[in-house]
Amino acid sequence: MDILSNWIMGLSVALQPYNIMIAIVGIVLGIIVGVLPGLGGANGVAILIPITFAMSPTSAVILLACIYWGALYGGGICSILFNIPGEPWAVAVTFDGYPMAKSGRAGKALVLSFLSHGVGAIIGVILLTFFAPIIAEFALRFGPPETAAVMVLTFSAMTRLGGKSALKSLVAIFLGFILAAVGLDIVSGKLRMTFGTVPLMGGFHFIVAVIGLFGLGEIFLTVEEGLKMEGVKAKVTLKDIWDGLKDLLRFRRILIMGSLIGCWLGIQPGGATPASFMAYGFAKSSAADKDQFGKGASSGIIAPEAAGHGAGTAATLPMITLGIPGSPTMAVIMGGLMIMGLQPGPMLFKEHADFVWGFIGSIWVANFLGLILVLAFAPAFAAILRIKFSILMPIIIYVCAIGAFAVNNRMIDIYYMIIFGIVGYLFKKLDYPMAPMVLALVLGNLAESATRQALIMGRGNPLIFFRPPIALPLMLIALFLFFWPTISKWIKRSSVKKAVT
Amino acid sequence: MRKADIIVALGLMVVGLLALGDAVRLGFGWGMSGPESGFFPFYMGLGIVISTFFILLRAIKIYKKEGSGKPLIPEGGTAQILWVLLPAIGVVLLTELLGLHLATVLYLAFYMGIVGKIHWGKVILLSVLVPLVVYVLFDRIFLIPLPEGIWGKNILALIPF
Repeated sequence: MDILSNWIMGLSVALQPYNIMIAIVGIVLGIIVGVLPGLGGANGVAILIPITFAMSPTSAVILLACIYWGALYGGGICSILFNIPGEPWAVAVTFDGYPMAKSGRAGKALVLSFLSHGVGAIIGVILLTFFAPIIAEFALRFGPPETAAVMVLTFSAMTRLGGKSALKSLVAIFLGFILAAVGLDIVSGKLRMTFGTVPLMGGFHFIVAVIGLFGLGEIFLTVEEGLKMEGVKAKVTLKDIWDGLKDLLRFRRILIMGSLIGCWLGIQPGGATPASFMAYGFAKSSAADKDQFGKGASSGIIAPEAAGHGAGTAATLPMITLGIPGSPTMAVIMGGLMIMGLQPGPMLFKEHADFVWGFIGSIWVANFLGLILVLAFAPAFAAILRIKFSILMPIIIYVCAIGAFAVNNRMIDIYYMIIFGIVGYLFKKLDYPMAPMVLALVLGNLAESATRQALIMGRGNPLIFFRPPIALPLMLIALFLFFWPTISKWIKRSSVKKAVT
Repeated sequence: MRKADIIVALGLMVVGLLALGDAVRLGFGWGMSGPESGFFPFYMGLGIVISTFFILLRAIKIYKKEGSGKPLIPEGGTAQILWVLLPAIGVVLLTELLGLHLATVLYLAFYMGIVGKIHWGKVILLSVLVPLVVYVLFDRIFLIPLPEGIWGKNILALIPF
């Protein structure tokens, strides 16, 4: 019952007029950002963090998170109407969303997408509301070895979940940690990897990296194929909404499964993209009308969208309770919180309960608001993409440059942004996953200090990381996740050899 | 694409070696009271060097077997990318001199007018309007100073408001 009263308090904070206005601004910005290529959720949030310095932490995090929810809703618009995914997890919805739009049912496709997002959000936020306090209690018993163990588990899961090559994921993670380490080492006061140059003394800020990697990199990718933005015109009528609701009911099993898959994978870092594909695959394999898939099957839209938004919402859970962001955008939001002096994790629940519950309340409010906004104004948002690319693109780069500069008021950050943009482009093309690198950049200092403290506690003995009762199972799961695919490949190879002889 | 894979992997290995080198300078063992400064970077650098080594092995093997594979940048893509990259670098360099807003006016005008071939009236309107809005929003309302450049302040002072 404690949860219930906290939840109501959180809602009352979120429903204050100022916060509702902030939420609407954030959602609208988020939808625009989600619709445009080159400005994704992570990027959009990163650019607007400096603006929030002047706001109270609660309002600031509401703004940043609402951009995230808006971007989740908006990502589907671009995929369905233009066959161009505005975000990586929105790829799966192009499979059936775009065909449905082309066959004249664009309005219905959009409605299905938005309603599925809404349901995914609801399930995600219910999970969040009821499990967050429990996990936070549990996380209070974390000491440095446990924190380090959670980090190892996080990154080992990311290595296997993200992309095709575990080696490349590892490289991305190590690179992120190294970038995080450049600059002043707080513990010893020494300068690391600055090679005598002044700019490097400031190190690399994750906001600059995110804007470059996800922003500029995305623009290069969009541009290289000479993509023309010619999309399907769409209107959302009441009949579309009615049809959409009917389909949602008809496919409610797939809707719920999609949301649950999303929530489950969303809790683990890097989860939204595989979640949407997995949900799509599940819907396809369990559907009665399999051959409709690829031509505009309703459940082909419902599943990945519910999963994508469920994952996005569920990603908040580990961020708030453990300080481990569940997605790159959540990592940026977490970075923003840290800048404001709030350390996400179990202590946040204890010391700033009103902030946490206000945040959770705002997730409820924002997702409902977002659904209404996007249903009502989808064609308007889609029309943004019809602005000539040669107008949009320089403006996007302009905004990105502002974002990069505003972090630390340094010109060098804009140069870094361009370099990160090139890196992001190369990484995307060569299958180096970027999400683990961003996570490593955001978490790097925390991970390093946890490791150092743990080692000091254990007097240099690495076995400290395996101490029961919490660190031990976490490390074992991490090692299992990491080595199992290799081991099972060996087992298969040797059994094939045996069969041949 | 395979050549690019090899080159990028080599580049990353160099980064790893740089980290290793600096970690050795800082000391990566057990210091007075705990791990030394270079401890973490040492193992991260080592991790990159080992991983990129295996990536290189695999990449070279595939390259020898199957040749170059697809080109890294598809047909006509290089030009498009350069059209984005070079003006972007240009506007940043220009910002050092003129400040962000004035540089952007020129950047937007150049891109919309010359690359996009948009009607010059619209071009002038947008190239002035957008940076103006941003200036008011950021410099006046949000109070976040944006780069002014060496001459920017003087040129802006010429405008009477």
